[in-house]
Amino acid sequence: MATPDEGERRWLVLPAELESLAAFQEFVREGARSASLPEERLWKLELALEEALVNVFRYAYPPGRSGPVEVGWSVEATGRLSVTIRDTGQPFDPLAREPPDLTSAIESRPEGGLGIYLLRQVTDGVAYRREEGMNQLTFHFQP
Amino acid sequence: MKVEGTKKDNAVVVTVTGRMDAVAAPQFERACAAWLDQGERSLIVDMSGLEYCSSMGLRSILIIAKRLQASGGRFALAGLGGPVREVFRIAGLLPVFSVFETVEAALGNAG
Repeated sequence: MATPDEGERRWLVLPAELESLAAFQEFVREGARSASLPEERLWKLELALEEALVNVFRYAYPPGRSGPVEVGWSVEATGRLSVTIRDTGQPFDPLAREPPDLTSAIESRPEGGLGIYLLRQVTDGVAYRREEGMNQLTFHFQP
Repeated sequence: MKVEGTKKDNAVVVTVTGRMDAVAAPQFERACAAWLDQGERSLIVDMSGLEYCSSMGLRSILIIAKRLQASGGRFALAGLGGPVREVFRIAGLLPVFSVFETVEAALGNAG
């Protein structure tokens, strides 16, 4: 399951479905401990991870077809915690979405589209790339 | 997450405790929808025991609030603190909801 690779990055691979969320949260909390992320910032890490994963659960694979999602974390020499979410689904850059309109009244607020916006706001940086046939979203938290 | 509804005056106080994540949000939505299906027109969500709320939680709250608003009902939030208040703030949702410090304040404001 979770094994360190040559870059000291640890990975956990599970099916891209809601039932995997809790295990991924637990896995990334290990990263938070390794990086000595302050307790009061832990919710930001959990939020970023959930928003990124929910996106993969919904969009990476066609309806009715499941696939894997991989979560990896590492603590860099600077103390920065880096988290990567990878899937082998269709190419999809969640960061390319238009930011939601946050000024409209309640009846015209769309119920969706907030997740990636929240992720951007609570992390200290996020990037997407398509590499080796995989969507890779990486975000990080400064120490 | 735990969801508990209690009838108080003319409102239902829905107390949510724990974490409103993608797994738990549908449970909140179902509980609120059940009260509305019974004809209740005023919901106050007590969030003082809520530790965490993601976009899926916000989504469920918006769905219920819109449904009440469309039918002329009343939807209020009480006891938002810490990370939960911060998520509402970032999402720009504090100004669009009736937000009260406490359930008592929300009940007193029921008019």
